[in-house]
Amino acid sequence: MTNYVLRRFGQMMLALLGVSVIVFALIHLVPGDPIRVALGTRFDPDTYAALSERAGLDRPIVVQYFAWLGSALTGDLGVSFRSGQPVTTLLLERLPATITLAFAALFVAIVVSIPLGIVSAIRSGSKLDYASTAASQVGVSVPDFWAGIMYILLFALALSWLPPSGYVSILDSPIDWLRHLALPAVTVGLISGSILFRFVRSAVLEALHQDYTRTARAKGLSEREVITRHVLPNAWIPIITVVGLQLGFLLSGVIVVEVIFAWPGLGRLALLSVQDRDFTVLQGAVLLIAAMFLVINLIVDVLYAYVDPRVRY
Amino acid sequence: MADPTPTAPPPATHDAGEPIAEHRSRMRVTIDTVLRNRLAVIGLVVLALLVLAAIFGPTIAPYDINDINIADRLQGLSSSHWFGTDELGRDVFSRVLVGARVSLTVGFIAVGIAVVIGVPIGLVSGFYGGATDSWLMRLMDILFSLPAILLAIAILAVLGPGIVNAMIAIGIVYTPIFARITRGSVLTVKESVFVRAARSLGATDTRILRSHILPNVVAPIIVQTSLSLAFAILAEAALSFLGLGVQPPEPAWGRMLSEGRGFFQQAPWMAIFPGLAIVITVMAFNFVGDGLRDALDPQQRSVIESRGVG
Amino acid sequence: MTGPVLKVDDLSVSFGTRTGRAMVVNDVSYEIGASETLAIVGESGSGKSVSSLALLQLLPVPPARVAGRAEFGGGDLLSMPDPEIRAVRGNRIAMIFQDPMTSLNPVRTIGYQLMEPLRMHMGMDKAAARARSIELLELVGIPSADERMDDYPQQFSGGMRQRVMIAMGISCEPDLLIADEATTALDVTTQAQIIEEIKQLQDRMGLALIWITHDLGVVAGIADRVVVLYGGAIMEEAAIDLLFDDPRHPYTRALLESLPVPGMDRPRRLQAIPGLPPDPVHLPAGCPFAPRCAYAQDICTSERPALTFPLEGHGVACHFDPEVFDG
Repeated sequence: MTNYVLRRFGQMMLALLGVSVIVFALIHLVPGDPIRVALGTRFDPDTYAALSERAGLDRPIVVQYFAWLGSALTGDLGVSFRSGQPVTTLLLERLPATITLAFAALFVAIVVSIPLGIVSAIRSGSKLDYASTAASQVGVSVPDFWAGIMYILLFALALSWLPPSGYVSILDSPIDWLRHLALPAVTVGLISGSILFRFVRSAVLEALHQDYTRTARAKGLSEREVITRHVLPNAWIPIITVVGLQLGFLLSGVIVVEVIFAWPGLGRLALLSVQDRDFTVLQGAVLLIAAMFLVINLIVDVLYAYVDPRVRY
Repeated sequence: MADPTPTAPPPATHDAGEPIAEHRSRMRVTIDTVLRNRLAVIGLVVLALLVLAAIFGPTIAPYDINDINIADRLQGLSSSHWFGTDELGRDVFSRVLVGARVSLTVGFIAVGIAVVIGVPIGLVSGFYGGATDSWLMRLMDILFSLPAILLAIAILAVLGPGIVNAMIAIGIVYTPIFARITRGSVLTVKESVFVRAARSLGATDTRILRSHILPNVVAPIIVQTSLSLAFAILAEAALSFLGLGVQPPEPAWGRMLSEGRGFFQQAPWMAIFPGLAIVITVMAFNFVGDGLRDALDPQQRSVIESRGVG
Repeated sequence: MTGPVLKVDDLSVSFGTRTGRAMVVNDVSYEIGASETLAIVGESGSGKSVSSLALLQLLPVPPARVAGRAEFGGGDLLSMPDPEIRAVRGNRIAMIFQDPMTSLNPVRTIGYQLMEPLRMHMGMDKAAARARSIELLELVGIPSADERMDDYPQQFSGGMRQRVMIAMGISCEPDLLIADEATTALDVTTQAQIIEEIKQLQDRMGLALIWITHDLGVVAGIADRVVVLYGGAIMEEAAIDLLFDDPRHPYTRALLESLPVPGMDRPRRLQAIPGLPPDPVHLPAGCPFAPRCAYAQDICTSERPALTFPLEGHGVACHFDPEVFDG
């Protein structure tokens, strides 16, 4: 077990290293001089010189890479070409919003999908099952940005129940924080929930049809006992995995939703940095997001190995 | 009791009269199974319509997509403008119709790229194993570990926006999945008895790959293709929504959504219909993909792909 | 105890399928007494497993339809309400299944699974159930039982797992144990061991045993009486010696003839029975075996033979006497 964890950790570090290479390569694949491109019309010889020196773009590539990696490990990811602010600061400013949205969306997804998924599997073929499955089909096919727009249309503009966009810190006003969080969380959460639902349902169905379920019934257990004591403990294992993976995706993939709801998260920062050609910021954002993704995947794998006796022993 | 002489045993029958069904070709069985799946059939019909729209769009559209007509701007649904008009007076219905072209083109080509690159990688990796396998899969894992839309955006940051670059970006994003699935199938088949038998008869590697391994690997790839198409369309929509995909004046559903955002209150139809088009298209691909999966490989778990795309 | 432990009358099971109604079990009747071993023999698809699952109401009842009567302990198993049949399952009648790898829950310790019926049916508390479970494991020949209680099924070999299943089955000292192909998935040596152990348990506990199998070799080793099923109906039933010495039904004869004989002096083709089992949705009128029977006559395809007892304790469902075939 410990061996497994160590091995997976090593793999993750390697992957992270690989990602860092790719991220670093980004800035050097851009045709032309990245700083000049970034400054664009606001070009100014002094700023250019200062940034150039800071970025050290005249040194050999390999040296640059290790220098960058080295400072990254100490928390220095360079400076924004656009604003001059340290990249790390920018990233940390945006992190809370992204994390909040990801967890809120996951919460919505879990609350919707797990009970429905379990019941649909148990009552497979019932009206509830058909209705939920159909709804999840739609949910999986809907682009989150369109769903977001539709919700804004309905709840913010037509009904004026909720604000259409923006973010309020929980420290300033819990109620407003919640009101601003609701639509984006539901937008992403329902879609994530649709994916989860299908998975939960199939995991429970599979467990229901196993031989050990028949054995449990043959021992005289009531249907409810069979489900709670034998079916669900087996189904939880893959479900936990998928929930964890979803969290990983949520932390990294909600860029478009952030744009629609003007949510000040990492994804929106990454996008803006693309539009601004602000490569250091882009590098930092991609690296951070990828790192979070990889770490969560690692946690999920380890958790799975821990929870499933078949792997543990 | 009469003296029964033993009669010859009757020919092998399944019951009193019917002869055993003859062996049917695998493709026929697959097609039949899929066609029996109502949802898959609906999906196929919708896809056929979409392909027609993509090919004949500009010809059959009631209005030219670039027909700017400021006097008629922001009109609601009417008999002359089924989906209303946008901020420049252009007919939304026509633009949605022609937008099918972009979505389907990008979708198919992007997935095509992913297949063309990913499948050979998976084949080589699974077949030869060893260090090649190790390094290739490591590379795939790294690509896989970057969230899809982020990777696409990063690639477009380097290449610049545009339809071709979008296809490349999405193609690269989906390559690892095809590599992995192919490799998995190869590994399963590689150790099977009939491959060993072929080897013992002196078949070369290429021959084995071509005649034995490839046919068995085809089924999961087909299923994955149709599922990936669904996501590729979503990806394209997201990218054009962000302004990184197809550039104006070519209509793209994603970009129409983004443009529609600015006119939410006055003309919600600008955003509603392109979005609906995306939903319907994606659902159609999903139905067909699910139908194919049930017919070809019921045990294949549907890969939980990054829904973070779009 | 006087009278049979279980008396099955005209048990019929059918399933609704897309192509029609599948008649899987057709008017099967038998009885079994204490300490007796009854073997139910048949090919796959003969309805042998289904007939036993029906006894404990373990078949899902919309697709399945069950008719008939199964007298046990003063009640009818087939019509008992849920709480009653649950009190019988695992307690008065236990069933063990073919594949020990999949029949045990992989994410629960075997201790947990063993203790379940003890706590539920015998009202034991955790400590008592644990102690009893350890005894049971020792009884079925599992060493270091105390430590093994906290292990998971995949930490056991196939034979051990089946022993655990047996321990689970006899834990509440049932009157009847039904073993459905219980040794089919095991290698021959383990098979022989398990059969021996079960016989010993049976002697100790006065257990009635229904052994379902397709393997005549196993039958010879364990059965007192045999019921031969084909197409969901009984073709022949007799005490074991009678059956092997004087098989009277063409199907039984064909089965026995198809067994390879050890020490055959000349290489000989194995005598398989030509043809395939009948499709339960399209059962032939008349005798289900007629399409494959070497001696079939017109009456065989039009009229279903009833189970008659030409000799004491030896029942046959055939229109003809075997003397007619041999003569």
